Amino acid sequence: MTGVRRFLGGIWWIYALLIVFSILWLIPVMTVLMTAFRPLGEIRDGWWNLGGASFTLDNFIGAWTEADLGSKAINSAIITAFSVAATVAVGSLAAYAFVRLRFSGRGLLYFLLISTMIVPVQIILIPLLPWFRTLGFAEGTWQPFLGMVLVHTAFGLGWAVFMMGSFMAGVPKELTEAGQIDGAGHWGIFSRIILPLALPGIVSFAIIDFVFVWNDLLLGLTLLDADHAPLTVGIANLQSAHLAQQDVISAGALLAILPPLVLFVALNRYYVRGLFSGGVK
Amino acid sequence: MAGTARQREGGGIAYLFILPAVLVFTLFYLWPALNTILSSLFTWSILAPWQLADPETWRFAGLDNYAEVLTDGRFWNAAFNTAIWLVLFPILATLLSMVLAIGVWEVGRAARAFRTVLVLPMTVSLTAAGVLWVLVFNPDFGVLPAALGVFGLDGATIDLGPLHLRLSDWLSNPGTLELGFATVNLVNLSAIMPAIWALTGFGVISFTAGLTAISPELIEAARVEGANRFQVARHVIVPQLRAATIIVAVVFVIYALRTFDVVWVTTQGGPGTDSEVVAILLWREALAFFDSPSAGQATAIAVLLSAVMVIGAYPYLRSLLREAPE
Repeated sequence: MTGVRRFLGGIWWIYALLIVFSILWLIPVMTVLMTAFRPLGEIRDGWWNLGGASFTLDNFIGAWTEADLGSKAINSAIITAFSVAATVAVGSLAAYAFVRLRFSGRGLLYFLLISTMIVPVQIILIPLLPWFRTLGFAEGTWQPFLGMVLVHTAFGLGWAVFMMGSFMAGVPKELTEAGQIDGAGHWGIFSRIILPLALPGIVSFAIIDFVFVWNDLLLGLTLLDADHAPLTVGIANLQSAHLAQQDVISAGALLAILPPLVLFVALNRYYVRGLFSGGVK
Repeated sequence: MAGTARQREGGGIAYLFILPAVLVFTLFYLWPALNTILSSLFTWSILAPWQLADPETWRFAGLDNYAEVLTDGRFWNAAFNTAIWLVLFPILATLLSMVLAIGVWEVGRAARAFRTVLVLPMTVSLTAAGVLWVLVFNPDFGVLPAALGVFGLDGATIDLGPLHLRLSDWLSNPGTLELGFATVNLVNLSAIMPAIWALTGFGVISFTAGLTAISPELIEAARVEGANRFQVARHVIVPQLRAATIIVAVVFVIYALRTFDVVWVTTQGGPGTDSEVVAILLWREALAFFDSPSAGQATAIAVLLSAVMVIGAYPYLRSLLREAPE
């Protein structure tokens, strides 16, 4: 009886719906895997034809060397590592000031920082190019990276203060007051009490910032020359060349997808928690 | 003791904590943003930029850049395509992620597997998502043309009143929808699709969090009263998800208004300007040719875009500010 009721109650069509969408959602993933790991000649009639399928890493070698995505991946790694580190460092200090200190201009600064979460990046994009030339960030070996890291830091600060601030605000006041009675200054309270306790929140923010910076196309496309461009720009340029090199592009896309995906899978709990503190309450 | 009181109040030390942030933010956000607003009042190009310190570079244009943008057919074409994004993307992505989140929550068994599949694309960059879907649309070995071919529909044309659908050339001309006052180029949908694929996961996660907050007694009470699964979902669950729905929709609207990446790698705004959105037009005005004197117009577009965003998202901004730390 209950079996029939359950059936009529409609659990089966929910399964059907979820299976259909799961298949739809997996099709692009299967496509990119098959295109990246098989010779292009083999998939001309569709990658789903598995007759005589062979496995190759040539596309990855081609993407890394000939298409020059290897150096782009390294650029992405440099930009992302330093941007996340700088944003966490600068942002956590600022978040502490907003949560535990009073200073003039606090309200205005907080408003401006939070506004950056909504105002589109286009509002700063165009003047940054001449600005980079003025500051000497337009060319050089490390200068463009430094400029890019500073822009990413400025752009990420709003999120940094909002997210890490909400975690720091969750640290019980009694603990920091105990620290004060023991004679610790603000630096001591920040580094020895707040930072360790807010660490999960800081990790959450770092992951989200990593995904954001690593996946950026617009800033990289606009501000960086070919020697400093990130992986996303390399892939977009290959794509717009309209050549029959889907194999190499697929391999490149997988290289771009992998680091954030690995981070997501490994630190899933932090990632999801971070999303909820950041606006999804 | 006096020192401790001073520390508790913040005083000088607060400025040391906030100083790095203020420096970076002022130099690389506030000044460029202010510069954008000022630049929109001058005629200049990237190679010969307007500079505050050098009056020789000042070619004051007043509001001419705005007048030029607002009377330019290409701007209104881009605005219309962005409007298509603004209508279709948030509605489709919000509805889909809500239905899928409720579905996953209902099945219990295998819920984790379903949720993982639906959420994973969230970490994929929109650039890569676009690349993946271009492969799906590929006329020679894409899944979509092949699947349509199985039913003999690949390349078919369908005319339903104002809808002229061509089931081919997904990235150039899959047809149009005549609205009377304007024509919707369906090629925009080919750029919207990868965005839905990539961002639905965010909605699923948000709605899942909303669902776990609903008290089981509420649902049990409805079941006892004889409501079936669909009625419970419609009359009990969906109303309880109101807060999550607003946030998901706002995030999707913000994304739709500034969309760039996915259009750039799929259609590049083409064919012609059929899928050119405002962010693409802005980029081209200023940066496609460095000596193009229309950088001023590009900054005017940036100001207009930001103004629309700030006004539209103002209630959301206020809700964020209400959560300000004490």
